[in-house]
Amino acid sequence: MLRVDIPERKEWKALADELGFHFHTIDGAPYWKEDAYYQFTLEQVEQDIEAPTEALHEMCMELVDKVCHSNALMQRLAIPEFMWDTIHNSWKTGQPHLYGRMDFAYTGNGPAKLLELNYDTPTSLYEAGFFQWVWLEQAIEQGILPRQADQYNSIQERLINAMAHLGDRLERRTLYFSCVKGSDEERATVSYLQDIALQAGLNTPFIYTDDIGLQPGATHFVDLDNQPITAIFKLYPWEEMADDAFGQQLPLLDTHWFEPPWKAILSNKGILPLLWEHFEGHPNLLPAFFENANSPPLPAGWVRKPFFSREGSNIELITPSGQREAVDGPYTDSPWIRQAYHPMPRFGDNHALVGSWVVGDRACGMGIREDMGRITKDTSCFIPHAIV
Amino acid sequence: MDTHNHPAHLPRRKRSARLTLAMMGTSAFGLTACVESAPDEHVTEVSFDEPRSFQSVEECVAANVYTRSACEDAHAASLESVPRFDTLEACEAEHGEGACTAPTEEQAQATSGGGSWFMPAMMGYMMGSMLSNTNRGRSIERVYQEPVYRNRQNQGNWNTASTQATQRVNQRNEAMRSSVVQNRQATTRRGLGTRSASWGS
Repeated sequence: MLRVDIPERKEWKALADELGFHFHTIDGAPYWKEDAYYQFTLEQVEQDIEAPTEALHEMCMELVDKVCHSNALMQRLAIPEFMWDTIHNSWKTGQPHLYGRMDFAYTGNGPAKLLELNYDTPTSLYEAGFFQWVWLEQAIEQGILPRQADQYNSIQERLINAMAHLGDRLERRTLYFSCVKGSDEERATVSYLQDIALQAGLNTPFIYTDDIGLQPGATHFVDLDNQPITAIFKLYPWEEMADDAFGQQLPLLDTHWFEPPWKAILSNKGILPLLWEHFEGHPNLLPAFFENANSPPLPAGWVRKPFFSREGSNIELITPSGQREAVDGPYTDSPWIRQAYHPMPRFGDNHALVGSWVVGDRACGMGIREDMGRITKDTSCFIPHAIV
Repeated sequence: MDTHNHPAHLPRRKRSARLTLAMMGTSAFGLTACVESAPDEHVTEVSFDEPRSFQSVEECVAANVYTRSACEDAHAASLESVPRFDTLEACEAEHGEGACTAPTEEQAQATSGGGSWFMPAMMGYMMGSMLSNTNRGRSIERVYQEPVYRNRQNQGNWNTASTQATQRVNQRNEAMRSSVVQNRQATTRRGLGTRSASWGS
């Protein structure tokens, strides 16, 4: 794994705008960067990222099954009791899921270490699945990269297959898509998924999460025309759904949600200590524990994360040499876990994080984010990768 | 799961051969060696044919729907995604007695690694093709193959819950009638998604 400086494609910003990638620059700061790329060997990709991702995914599925059959484990994960049956039923009836992303600290040597799972509302999908692919095709075409350069990326192709699979099982092949109002980035990510679903032959109406309606006597949530929503994709996390005003209605209504309710088990950082309990010593796992009242102040070489945290918020870490880093945020009311600190590789001023994608049950691609800090945030840049 | 050999991946090319945006961009993006994509071409229609199940490459070829190489690729890809076990016992422990088999010669040849292993008997492999039509009248055909999901569960029999839901709704309405007098047609909104502006991770 190397970070290699290269020329940017000519006029890539115009192309990005044309292709719907309007958030390549966020608040004047670059989000997508292509003045460098991360270079991998095929062996690194297949042995160190792809195979461990599939193995860890299987472990996660095993744990979902365990948690679904244990009220005690549901409780440990702070999942509200009124959701337990819904979660269990969604697993028992085999509700398919769409995707997830694992974040790894990986240096190019030795096993990649799982930092966390993003299995409910993972983003950076368009960048990884589409724009990165276009970058490679054009970089080859423009002589920036050699003709034999490749990329670990069949994300979009796998998503189309997964959507086609879902479409066969949906009423009138219709899947609503939703996200909350006010985020261009999330709206674009959902547009991309709608586009994919369309290519898989689905009908793809959109409704803002905030506009979803509840009608007395209806068996489903309803759209703006009061028509029943039988199935809907949400870019909005389960723990917030459950906490919202309509939360208590979720188990009562027959609307099918994607990701399915059982994903609530994996989008919770409490899954990390559970993974360690069940597969202690696995080379791709870091020691992790639930924090409790007796836990000492955070020692050096450890990271503290709330159960529910996104984009790096409320994470605190102390390196083995005693350097402290922390990101503020709103997630202060859930339990915490502690995970052994593992350094991310550093290239110049940047720390690189490998996001490894799972679609259906297959590992299928990768996206790299980098940040000056040790905690990857929503402002961290996306840098393309290639196998050379 | 310790008993599974992790399937090696046959295609050494790790990226999709071709990607398209149907609606998102102002133009469909298609870069292929020999097809020049017109700048304002949109994918207007996508249809899937009925996926078909084949027991072998020969059967697939004989059906005269796909090329031999498409049949071979799909067959190999589906074999790679079947769980493999070192012993017959380990396979039967997971999939049931009599449900497992050693690969046929054709199957063994199609997979990487070769070797001796056992797998749940395959009911055949699914293939389908996807035909996209563009606004310029061009058709793009792509072959896809199942499975997307491992054969962990029935994956998708979720409507078994429907009858229970009707009961739940009846119970809920009963409760509502006894609690509040209200306009039964009134729709409430802003009950989801209003707690924060941004949620990606």
